[in-house]
Amino acid sequence: MRTRNTNGLGLLWLFALLSLAIPSAEGAEKIGAEEVMKRAYLAEYYPGDDMKAKVLMRLVSGDGKERIREMSMLRKDLQEGGEQRYFIYFHRPPDVREMTFMVWKYPRRNADRWLFIPALKLVRRIAADDKRSSFVGSDFSYEDISGRGVEEDVHQLVREERLDGREVYVVESRPREARGTEFSRKLSWIDKTTFLPLKEEYYDTRGDLYKVFSADELKEIQGFWTITRRTMKNVQTGHRTEATFQEVRYNLKLSDTLFTERYLRAPPAEVR
Amino acid sequence: MGKRLVDFSIARPKLIIALTLLLTALFAIQLPKITTDTDPKNMLPITSPVRQYNDQVERWFGLHADVLVLGIQHEAGLFNPESLGKIARITEEILKIRGVIARDVISLPTVDDVTVAGDLLRAQPLLADVPGTALEAETFRKRVMTNRLLLDRLVSRDGKMAAIYIPIDKGVSGKAIADQLRGILDRTGGPEKFYLAGDPMVRDTFGVAMFQQMGLFSPIAGMVMLVVLFLMFRNWILVFANMAVAMLSIIWSMGLFIGLGVPIHIMASMSPLFLMAISTDTVHIFNEFAFRFKELGTKEEAIRETMRTVSTPVFYSDLTTTAGFASLAIGPIIPVRIFGLLVAFGTLVILLMSFTVVPAMMALMREERLATLSAKNDLQEDTVSRWLLKLGRLSLHRRKAIVLVGLILVLVSLWGLQRIRVNNNMVHWFKPDSVIRRADRILNERLGGTATLYLVATAQAEGAMTDPQVLRHIEGVQRYLEGHGLVGNTLSVADYVRRVNRVLHRDDPNFEVIPDSRESIAQYLLLLSMAAKPRDLNSVVDYPYQKANIFVHLRSWDAVDARRLLTDVQKHIASHPLSGVEYTPAGIAYFNMVWNDEVLVGMLSGFILSSIMVFFLIALSFRSLRWGVVSFLPLLFTILLIYGVVGFVRKDFDMPISVLSTLSLGMAIDFAIHFVSRFRQRFRETPDLDAVLLWTVTRPGKGILRNALLFGLGFSPMIFSALTPYITVGVFMMAIMFLSAGVTIIYLPALISMWQGWLIKGTRERLP
Repeated sequence: MRTRNTNGLGLLWLFALLSLAIPSAEGAEKIGAEEVMKRAYLAEYYPGDDMKAKVLMRLVSGDGKERIREMSMLRKDLQEGGEQRYFIYFHRPPDVREMTFMVWKYPRRNADRWLFIPALKLVRRIAADDKRSSFVGSDFSYEDISGRGVEEDVHQLVREERLDGREVYVVESRPREARGTEFSRKLSWIDKTTFLPLKEEYYDTRGDLYKVFSADELKEIQGFWTITRRTMKNVQTGHRTEATFQEVRYNLKLSDTLFTERYLRAPPAEVR
Repeated sequence: MGKRLVDFSIARPKLIIALTLLLTALFAIQLPKITTDTDPKNMLPITSPVRQYNDQVERWFGLHADVLVLGIQHEAGLFNPESLGKIARITEEILKIRGVIARDVISLPTVDDVTVAGDLLRAQPLLADVPGTALEAETFRKRVMTNRLLLDRLVSRDGKMAAIYIPIDKGVSGKAIADQLRGILDRTGGPEKFYLAGDPMVRDTFGVAMFQQMGLFSPIAGMVMLVVLFLMFRNWILVFANMAVAMLSIIWSMGLFIGLGVPIHIMASMSPLFLMAISTDTVHIFNEFAFRFKELGTKEEAIRETMRTVSTPVFYSDLTTTAGFASLAIGPIIPVRIFGLLVAFGTLVILLMSFTVVPAMMALMREERLATLSAKNDLQEDTVSRWLLKLGRLSLHRRKAIVLVGLILVLVSLWGLQRIRVNNNMVHWFKPDSVIRRADRILNERLGGTATLYLVATAQAEGAMTDPQVLRHIEGVQRYLEGHGLVGNTLSVADYVRRVNRVLHRDDPNFEVIPDSRESIAQYLLLLSMAAKPRDLNSVVDYPYQKANIFVHLRSWDAVDARRLLTDVQKHIASHPLSGVEYTPAGIAYFNMVWNDEVLVGMLSGFILSSIMVFFLIALSFRSLRWGVVSFLPLLFTILLIYGVVGFVRKDFDMPISVLSTLSLGMAIDFAIHFVSRFRQRFRETPDLDAVLLWTVTRPGKGILRNALLFGLGFSPMIFSALTPYITVGVFMMAIMFLSAGVTIIYLPALISMWQGWLIKGTRERLP
């Protein structure tokens, strides 16, 4: 297994990090849309140095039929705002128990993924497009789970308003490269205090609303605001996915070696 | 009642006409509110079990009811950079069309494909990047040709035809989308040929064309009748009166139903033609009036005498027609009910007009004009009546021979009747050389088939679809289906699982089988949901893995073919059962089959019921069961002959024919009613059987002939229609008219003469 360097982005991320570190007097400063989205990116996808959670996904079809995906999810950041590693261990449905899944995420290019199929005792690397591939059959794409690069879109601050009692920025994002992107326009409601997205609306290439994200429950865990319950609903098909994050823990000092093929085949007890 | 109404109309003709016009205006202002419904699916109510089940299946598997198929053909092969680029561009354009369900369009650039290179599985759209060179195009061809999920469905085996499946939203016109698609294709150009097929386009195109043809042929039929009427009577007021009755009944009945908010369905759109045909019944009034005026010389007296003699047959012939159509209202099919009630109401309007507007208009005619009418009528009478007289003599003197010929014809017809095939095929409602039919034919030859059937396998327990035994059974059913000549190709969850198994084993064809363990299948399915669009998988297996859907593409839209296939496959399943798994059909091909049965059976039972009602009505009108039987015989004979021919020439007994059968009943009986009722009137006055029969043949017989001629010629232009049901209507109407007129004029004298003892002596006491 190879490790990859990422250059070029360092400065950008450093800048992003710095801007996050500067405490802001409430309402006193005006920040740009790009800035809001950078902070949101970090707040949602990079809290802590690593993370572990038990994720329960309910995939609900338009006529109310359900599929369950229960998994342990581990994340480790190699760089704040940069490369990340994910490890997923499936608990349910029972037939897929012990299936494991690993993602090496790189900014600006498709992630590498490995899947271990216990029935065949086989590891296969999977190359798929992050932008359109569904995460384990849910309404979340890989991009929705691990984040879409802020620089991939042009952002514009539409307005500031209150959403469910919280002050938010409403930012409109349009992809720089229309080809290969499922949405033509995205609206995000970014909480001014936590910088977490409370709601997102995705519009398809014809300009019709098709996906709505909502953060249904926010909790502060070890000082990090975390979306512990979220829903992605496809309003065109009626299909929706509810994801609940339980037993969330940050900064566990996860080892790099955990995210290798060896552990994919024989995951240690700590990942289960 | 009728007499008083007639007297009043003659006394106050202007008032009657003014009142009629006022009422007509009231009905006419409703007409612009018209709403139409051309979806044959609505023939069955939403609550019908087959619709409910179909909707349910669509929900289970996220399927779309309405799918268009676009075929792209290049005789030199499609696997070259230009053609593939064209497919990619066309697909992109299609995704932009409003009403197209873009997320589920299946085309080379949108369908997901998993390929393997060593340990790497690559999941991406099949045609993510268009090959730039001939060599790359060839590599791409090989990739496609080894994928069973694509072959015959998206690409033909010879590589010359590709398909795009385009689902459209409910309520969107398939024709409107098809027109936009044609716009895109017209702009494309090049050596490729394009073919469009699919149920929504066929049915919506038919719906639009039907209303267009109606708008074209109703006036043409009206014009032809106008000319024929004028040639018969040489009097514009008479002609106008006759046409006015038709128009008024159309405006009143359409106005009433539109005003009540009833949508006009394909079937009801035919009612103007039907009403025009039924209104020709008033010809009998004018025919008799022409005779009477010549005999009596005074107009008012002639009108009174005419109405006195023809009122009973006119009343009963319109009443039987009304009963015939009204009986359709008992059936379960809503548009058929509406159609029946609409025509029944229109017929009652015609009846009312016959006793009010018709005498009123005759009263307004100036006598000197009428003199010319009768003079010209005389000239005609000489040739036509003389010819009729000869015919009457023949039928009286050679009655046994004539009846014998009739019996032989009945036997031949019965044999033809057995050959009748009850079938419906909407594509065949277009002419064989039409664009739609050609496209359907070519796509069916090259690809898997344009008609979709779903075969849903349901297990008793959740998770059953991860059981290798179940998947292998589904596979067995698929192999059986594919061996059946009617099926182009099939697709199921088993195909996906086999494909994953092969891909995971480094694309080794030996692994294109169902794996042995439950876990493998479950894990493959999860892998699939990660590597491909989840909806692809959802369309073949439901959420709890309890039901699986087999897509079956049929090469024929014939209802009989769908039934044959289903009977055969059920037989196969019964002989190779798997306990706990049941298979049930759904989908548009199945729906058409059930629809076919229910509509046709509904029409048939309506037909039988109205036959019985008509029989009792004539028996009642003659106050005699025996005369009822005699009058009913020509009707029976006509119908037997017509359907005998239908069976003989192997014309399918389909929707248009079944609608016409109800009309044939109401129309064919009319002539017999006129004949018998006028005969009996005359016989009471002068009891000389042969002389009265000959009189009836020449005088009311002439009215019958005129009626038949008017009616038949009025419908003759429809032979040139672009839609086959209209051609059928034209031919069928002419056949009914000429046959029933001929049968009435030839057979009734022979039968009455043969059975005079039974008919007349037995009822003599009742004849005053």
